[in-house]
Amino acid sequence: METLDHLLAGLSAAMSMQNLAFALAGCVLGTLVGVLPGVGPAAGTAILIPLTFNLDPAGAIIMLSAIYYGAMYGGTITSVLLNVPGEAASVITCIDGYQMARNGRGGAALGIAAIGSFIGGTFAVFALVVVAAPLASLALKFGPPEFFALMLFGLCLVTGLAGRSLIAGILMTVVGLLIAMIGIDPVRGAPRFTFGVPDLYDGLGFIPVVMGLFGVAEIMSTAEKPYREVIKTNLKNILPNREEWNASIGPIIRGTGLGFFLGLIPGVGAIIPTFMSYVMEKRLSKTPERFGNGAIEGVAGPETANNAYANAAMVPLLTLGIPSSPTIAVLMGAFIINGLTPGPFLFVEKPVLVWTIIASFFIGNIMLLILNLPLVGFWAKILEVPWQYVCVGTLLFCILGAYSINQSVFDVWVMLGFGVIGYLLRKLDFPLAPAILGLILGPQLEKSLRTSLEMSAGDFTIFLTRPITLSLLVLSAAVLVVTALNLAPKQLRQATDD
Amino acid sequence: MKLGWLIATVCLVCLFGFTMALGMLGFPILNSRPLPMKDALGPGPGFFPFWLSLIGLSLGALLLIEVAREPAAAPDTPSLVPERAPALRIIAIVVLLAAAAVALEPLGFRLTAFAFIALTMLALGLTSPLPVAISSLLGSVGVFHVFYQWLKVPLPIGPYDYVLKPFGL
Repeated sequence: METLDHLLAGLSAAMSMQNLAFALAGCVLGTLVGVLPGVGPAAGTAILIPLTFNLDPAGAIIMLSAIYYGAMYGGTITSVLLNVPGEAASVITCIDGYQMARNGRGGAALGIAAIGSFIGGTFAVFALVVVAAPLASLALKFGPPEFFALMLFGLCLVTGLAGRSLIAGILMTVVGLLIAMIGIDPVRGAPRFTFGVPDLYDGLGFIPVVMGLFGVAEIMSTAEKPYREVIKTNLKNILPNREEWNASIGPIIRGTGLGFFLGLIPGVGAIIPTFMSYVMEKRLSKTPERFGNGAIEGVAGPETANNAYANAAMVPLLTLGIPSSPTIAVLMGAFIINGLTPGPFLFVEKPVLVWTIIASFFIGNIMLLILNLPLVGFWAKILEVPWQYVCVGTLLFCILGAYSINQSVFDVWVMLGFGVIGYLLRKLDFPLAPAILGLILGPQLEKSLRTSLEMSAGDFTIFLTRPITLSLLVLSAAVLVVTALNLAPKQLRQATDD
Repeated sequence: MKLGWLIATVCLVCLFGFTMALGMLGFPILNSRPLPMKDALGPGPGFFPFWLSLIGLSLGALLLIEVAREPAAAPDTPSLVPERAPALRIIAIVVLLAAAAVALEPLGFRLTAFAFIALTMLALGLTSPLPVAISSLLGSVGVFHVFYQWLKVPLPIGPYDYVLKPFGL
């Protein structure tokens, strides 16, 4: 009952003209970010943070969240019309979405993707409402050892599912954690690795690093291999026919459940639910040979799973303060910039704000459906913008965004430096997501570990005597062992090898 | 690919080794002091960096062995090094971003953005003067107005504000 009261209060706040405008602006910008190849949701959200500098915290987070799930919607359009995913989670949509476009059913592919995304996203928000408050209450009972183990579990999942080499994944996590060590020690306040440079006392800015690794590096990759021409397809009839509807209902229902449950697990990236949904639909299909040749189930399932995941991934962030992916980590950064610490205490300290943000997800999903169905032709037109304009615009926003966070040119240099590093690491296929999560979780992880050891006077058995901590540590070890012994399902490994 | 991984892993091992040395020994020449592993209350500021560096060093050594034992890439594997034209575009992006970082505060956002947009477009192959000029003007002055005037985002004005202002820029 209390949850319902909070939700209604949040809904009322989210329905204010101001917040509706922020949600709409976020949805439009997010779809644009998703539509433009070369700008992923992590970079897009980071680049657009300066837009929210002078907004109130609720407005800022509403807008940035809308950018995030807007980008998840928008990524489909490039997958279908260009065979180039606008963001990583849309990779799988390329397979059948592009074939549908070539067969003259591009409109239906985009239509079912938008409808599936709406259903998946809306269900996930309903489920979020149900589980968020109890989970946050449970997390309030967590002490530093539990939080340390939980963060370690999240990092192990990201690392274990991050590409072809487990060792490289862990190394990148360690790199992220080490970068997070630069600046003032979070427990004692002593400067570390600052070399007497005042700009380093606050550490390396998370947002400039993300802009570099994901924004500048992506643009450098685009400049190396510019994307291809847009496929001309029938976008007038965007509603699927009866046969396509019948084929899509099952995948949408299954994609919703799959995306939601995977979104609840901290550390599972956006690509895994979509890939698993695709594999599941292909296995369940009586005509699996249609997959790869324009099967609508191959679009409906993954796209639904993608958006159910995108909304469900807010659960670990809001209730536990654990980001599931680089984009969610950027959102966590935005919370911190706005003076908010995501996690269970936020539900106690700022209940109206949290529930306003959650309520805005409902509104955002409706807005995205409206934006995506009738305006699909408009978004397709945007794809015809020459890639050079996209590159220049993105780079300009990277400069603006990096500078304006602290009004510091040093941050622009940081962004450039990490852009070059990110480009080289991409070329070598080193996973970047573990580094980003290590960077954002580093200070909290260290603080939890050191506080736990202070509680136990330096005795490490504190982690073995508490049931939740022990369970999470065993799970973390299990994830690493399963990955190291190559025991993860083949499909999962293929998905994360991308 | 194999050579690239070897180089990258060696760089990472050097980074971890340097971090460990920095934490344990400190280098006065770099304005760095040793970080204590523990203090009166518990683990000190050097505790976490030390163990992280140690884990990093061990894993770096393991990765070096793993990569060294990998078979050589097939001859038809695409090269990691881009061809001349894409490589020049990438270098141009890096140089122009660096130039923008240098010029941002001395020249202000508008002039820096104008020059950055125009030069980057030229470097990426858009040579038609009118679109380049219009995009540069809109991208610099337009973005400045939106962010500085409307959204109140602090951007460097530069010393030539008095020249630009009478023209409504």
